[in-house]
Amino acid sequence: MLFHTWVFFVFFAIVYPVYLVSRKNNLLMNLWLMLASYTFYAWWNPSYILLLFGTSAIDYVMVLFMDRSQRWKKFWLIVSLVSNFGFLGYFKYSTFITTNLNLLFAQMHLSFALPDPASYANVFIPMINEVRLLVGQPPRGFFTEVILPIGISFHTFQSMSYTIDAYRGKIKTEYNFIRFLTFVSFFPQLVAGPIERASNLLPQLQSAPRITREDLSDGLSLFLVGFFKKVALADYLAKYVDQVYETPGQFQAPALVLATVAFAWQIYFDFSGYTDMARGIARVMGFRMMLNFNNPYVATGLGDFWSRWHISLSTWFKDYLYFPLGGNRGGTLLTYRNMFITMVISGIWHGAAWTFVIWGVLHAVGRILTRELERSQFYREQVPAFVKQVLVFAFVCFTWIFFRAQSLNDAWLVTSRIFSTGWVDPQFPLLMAILVLAVCAYQYLFTQSSLTRKLLEPALVRVGLVIAMITYLVIVAQPSTKAFIYFQF
Amino acid sequence: MNEPEMPDFSNAVRLTGWQWIGVGIFTVALILGAAPAWERVERFDLEPDYRMPYELSLDYWLYERYSRLAAIHSDTLLVGDSVVWGQYATREQTLSHYLNEEAHEEQFANLGLNGADPLALAGLMEHYGGGVTGKNVILQCNTLWMSSPERDFQLEPRFGHNHPRLVPQFFPTINGYKEEISPRMGIAVEQRLPFRGWTTHLQQVYYDKTDIPTWTLNHPYDNPFAAVTRGLPPTDDMLRYKPISWTKQGTKKEDMPWVDPETSLQWHAFQHAVEILEGRGNRVFVLVGPFNEHMLTDESLQRYQKVKLAIETWLREKNLPYLAPPPLPSELYADASHPLSEGYEILARQVFEALPWKK
Repeated sequence: MLFHTWVFFVFFAIVYPVYLVSRKNNLLMNLWLMLASYTFYAWWNPSYILLLFGTSAIDYVMVLFMDRSQRWKKFWLIVSLVSNFGFLGYFKYSTFITTNLNLLFAQMHLSFALPDPASYANVFIPMINEVRLLVGQPPRGFFTEVILPIGISFHTFQSMSYTIDAYRGKIKTEYNFIRFLTFVSFFPQLVAGPIERASNLLPQLQSAPRITREDLSDGLSLFLVGFFKKVALADYLAKYVDQVYETPGQFQAPALVLATVAFAWQIYFDFSGYTDMARGIARVMGFRMMLNFNNPYVATGLGDFWSRWHISLSTWFKDYLYFPLGGNRGGTLLTYRNMFITMVISGIWHGAAWTFVIWGVLHAVGRILTRELERSQFYREQVPAFVKQVLVFAFVCFTWIFFRAQSLNDAWLVTSRIFSTGWVDPQFPLLMAILVLAVCAYQYLFTQSSLTRKLLEPALVRVGLVIAMITYLVIVAQPSTKAFIYFQF
Repeated sequence: MNEPEMPDFSNAVRLTGWQWIGVGIFTVALILGAAPAWERVERFDLEPDYRMPYELSLDYWLYERYSRLAAIHSDTLLVGDSVVWGQYATREQTLSHYLNEEAHEEQFANLGLNGADPLALAGLMEHYGGGVTGKNVILQCNTLWMSSPERDFQLEPRFGHNHPRLVPQFFPTINGYKEEISPRMGIAVEQRLPFRGWTTHLQQVYYDKTDIPTWTLNHPYDNPFAAVTRGLPPTDDMLRYKPISWTKQGTKKEDMPWVDPETSLQWHAFQHAVEILEGRGNRVFVLVGPFNEHMLTDESLQRYQKVKLAIETWLREKNLPYLAPPPLPSELYADASHPLSEGYEILARQVFEALPWKK
């Protein structure tokens, strides 16, 4: 179920009033939110709610065990981590790992080959078919592929943060199973974040959140901006990006450069649009979720970029990987090593493909190479902010080539053609350029100084912008059922 | 050291409750007012023998506008599919044209819509035929749409639907119509909200039948807002298909299976269309066919006769005036259901004779 479709509007029109009534009883409220969230998730593939339930249940039980026995605390944490990474590994990475290992074996002229990971699930076929027969369904055949459960990386990471924080004694044990299930599956952020921490969301589920008039109006504002980002901007940019990246060999440098820049904005609008809508929906329900994007393309350094892009994931990796590795406490080389590991794993988190690995490596190398520069007085004081922003944006765009390309070959093709082919009219739509430039100008004014920000704050400007967005949405933009890019992660 | 407090918003687009109410009022005004305002801006010249431009067959907002105008200028409106529209004819060779010749004045308007099978026709009348009220209506029943389970939408048609935006989206269930729930909901909203029909009209007329963002990909440096100044295209004057008799085309006889009217979705939809039109105070005259019976194999013809008989029985039971003319001469058909110009001429004489309200 996508936020920007009619189905969701109907879904929310049912969920919201019942939620408002059920808030008087906390158990009822959580039960209703959980049922709504599982329905929301089941819309894609009902069988995967078992996975969502299973991973949540394991983490819930492990923390209960930790609570009972301090001596075995570490063991229960390991069980939780192994199960979470086990599910994630099987559903997300097993095909990639198997394919690459088999390629390696073939290169080494070994006759051994690992079986298709999908076949592992076939041991459950007799059991599944018995259940299917019970509910009057015909028996199913063997599994032929591992289908990635939508948003698995998001809810797994959210659930894991709970067990790790509980292990560290940072949060109290949640004894109410329904409430815990609601925390993991809370539908606004279930499939693409923000990855909320238990310390932020669980307390909000413990009593009925207060809903103020400001929450309603802010929620609406967030939702509208997110809706506009997704439907009017991201899906529009995708039309140009997709046609170029489908067959990059047919395009020359100008189109490839513009498609890459367009993709940079597309993914930003797509993902931050989702987050805005998620936060807006949560806000009208009285829940506050963290800011996930803070104008990342005005960043003046790569470190700054990562403190503005997908903040909930960056901070997750910082708290649960970078710091445990030692962070920046072990000297320069160890710091670089930790940064490298964190960035590469962050790349792999996005998907099981070499393109994501390279994307992570590029960011790691970029971050390591520029860390000292960014800290230097010269860079901080002498280089104009605008130049820094352009340089960071150019580098980030370059890395997006690997993120967007369908294969490493395609990524290389795009990169090489950018530097080797000549000028051919890129046929980049003027309207598209105007929209992106308008957003750039807006972000520039918003972030430049408190004085320029004031230009955007008068009621006339804000209301005018909202009216312009609504007019554009209802007349120009098309109803979209295009999924969000980050759902695949 | 404390972490700097994370901002809650990454832009300044935050409105107060009152401002949202203002925006809500503006949005409602836009949705209710834009389409009627546009009608005043966009000129629509109703020429003699007007028919919907072929390219704009999916522009139901324009159809609705045309049906209102036609209802003002004509006594009798001909509603049906491409047989009424005139697939193999110019606009001066259509059934409505020859009926006007019979009447010696402009009494009949061509409200035919290409590809409008009875399911679509019922949707067309229900949602976009509000102008057809208190009029004389000749409603054409093209039996071709019951000639196979595929055409009856009991199975999914090989080439998709002509008018998916007109068919019922949820009830009754149409087995041959496959679409996700969300787009169905969008269509259901469009059917009830003229504003959505109007935006589709803009796309159909000014943006090469696509949405504006897609249009800009093909016209990257054009101003999309300048495109709407071109104005409506004139009526359809062209001969869309070569008017060659089916016998000369070498078309073979067909063994059409036919669907029993009892179970036919199309027939039930046709009945629904009659109910809608009568419910709006129209006097309805049904024209059954003219189907090219020469094109059927003997077995298929027998099955067809039963279907036709069932249709006539229902029309008699309903006391609806109708004409089920004998088939036209074989060479006057271009295919299974479309007559050629001469065929229309003959048909017009028969229809005019049978009309209970002819002057």
